[in-house]
Amino acid sequence: MLRVRGIEHHYGARRVLDIDSLDFETGSITAVVGANGSGKSTLLRILAFLETPTNGSLVLDGNPIRTRADRLAARRIVTLVEQRPFLFSGTVAANMVYGLRARGCRGSEAKRRVADTLQLVGVADLADRDARALSEGEIQKIAVARALSLDPKVLLLDEPASAADRSSTNRLYQIVAEARDRGVTIVIASHQLEEVYRWSENFVSLDGGRTSPVSPENIFRVEIPAGTGSKEVRLGDLVIHVVTDTTGPATIALPPDDLIVSTGGFSSSARNQFQGRIQRISEDGRGRVTLRIDAGVELVARITPSALADLALSVGSPVILSIKAMAVRVF
Amino acid sequence: MDFLVEGFRRGVQLILSGDADVFGITALSLKIALSSTVLACLVGIPIGFVVGTTRFWGRRAALTVLNTMLAFPTVVVGVVIWGLLTRNGPFGGLGLLYTWWAIVAAEVVLAVPIAAALTAAAVQSIDPRVRRTALTLGAGPWRAHWAVACEARFALLAAVVVAFGRVLAEVGAAMIVGGNIRHHTRTLTTAVALASSQGDFALAIALGLVLLGLALTVNVLLQLFQGRGHA
Repeated sequence: MLRVRGIEHHYGARRVLDIDSLDFETGSITAVVGANGSGKSTLLRILAFLETPTNGSLVLDGNPIRTRADRLAARRIVTLVEQRPFLFSGTVAANMVYGLRARGCRGSEAKRRVADTLQLVGVADLADRDARALSEGEIQKIAVARALSLDPKVLLLDEPASAADRSSTNRLYQIVAEARDRGVTIVIASHQLEEVYRWSENFVSLDGGRTSPVSPENIFRVEIPAGTGSKEVRLGDLVIHVVTDTTGPATIALPPDDLIVSTGGFSSSARNQFQGRIQRISEDGRGRVTLRIDAGVELVARITPSALADLALSVGSPVILSIKAMAVRVF
Repeated sequence: MDFLVEGFRRGVQLILSGDADVFGITALSLKIALSSTVLACLVGIPIGFVVGTTRFWGRRAALTVLNTMLAFPTVVVGVVIWGLLTRNGPFGGLGLLYTWWAIVAAEVVLAVPIAAALTAAAVQSIDPRVRRTALTLGAGPWRAHWAVACEARFALLAAVVVAFGRVLAEVGAAMIVGGNIRHHTRTLTTAVALASSQGDFALAIALGLVLLGLALTVNVLLQLFQGRGHA
């Protein structure tokens, strides 16, 4: 549906994005993850044809998007909900019809689509409210509803539920999944990793504007054997103990903060112990040290600077990673 | 001090009695001010919009020029327009000198920078998400610009009101290119200047009160509009 080929993007002399190739297939949800400043929002603005990459090209529905007219036509089928969405002054209903009018949809058809989408998102009671008097969470819901009402072929969501409570987040992702089932191509950038990993089938990890082959957060697609309770899951040469009733294809996560790093074996209740070697050490300046460890697959663990000093860890040091079977999350 | 009170009393009397001179001058002033404001805004607002919203080489210089033109001496504009419209000037053949159209021309030159500079400031202060949101919802460039204008409407209206106030209260250029001819080019400000120089203090006060009343009315209307918008 939407293909990225060799794009590079610069802000002044600074290169913020450098991506060889990305494909977003029709009727799929792709999660774009990465730290702040990794280029997620820039990528989404480029995919939304709001910014033109310094180099490279985008192909939409088989058609390369080159000219201003191409971009205008593309924006009629691709829409973006920004991280901090903007609602125009006026009522919620007036905001909802803006995009429909831009697409030539007016009158009773526009009214019907507005009412249906507000109902779907669960904010029908806000239709006549002043958009400037809404809470942040309500603004996000209206912005998502406004985008969905346009019936886009590609829907780009930048942190769509950052201000939503848990039940609203769940409802939002259900709606997004329903849109996916109708054939909409969806790209979500989010820090709510548990949610995006649960609902997405494709992942793109960005690190310094480049795609990273390994997820920074130890997320893996696995096949979980039948049965209930404690199970063994194979991940390459690793055997990971998990506790779940889920069977079949699933996503597991080993939260970096829950991985215990030690330099020698010890008896504990942790069912998972992996031997590995430190490949990279980085400090974020906020009291957290990130270790990238080759344990057969690359795993990320986070520790404090004092733990790093006490264990006298350096690049190349052999370590043992431990995590309880119950701490391994299954989606 | 007594002459001030007496002038004020007679001035009010002139207005209340419906003095033909006072109302004739007021009507002409309004006609000139409204025409100038409309023309200046038709030119100045698009200029301000372009300077405020687009990136081009020389943009900062354009902003500096606009802001400098805000302080243009009115008599200098009057002299330049007089030179252009006088019989031997490049537009002398149009026969506009000492007509109300000549005053309109001078006032437009003075009001365009106001409309443009205040428009540029207004649209620059608008959240950049407005345009991005409009575009991502499928708006074309014009519709997206209109969305920005709608969000900046109160500041744009203020720009129009300031331009109107400038041309209504202007005296130097109007005197030079209009000639202060009774029933033809005598505006409120030139009439005040003439009346006070002739010692007709009551007429000067009456016309001054009308000027203040007009300025007050326009600003009250603006406040009401803004108040309704923010309610």
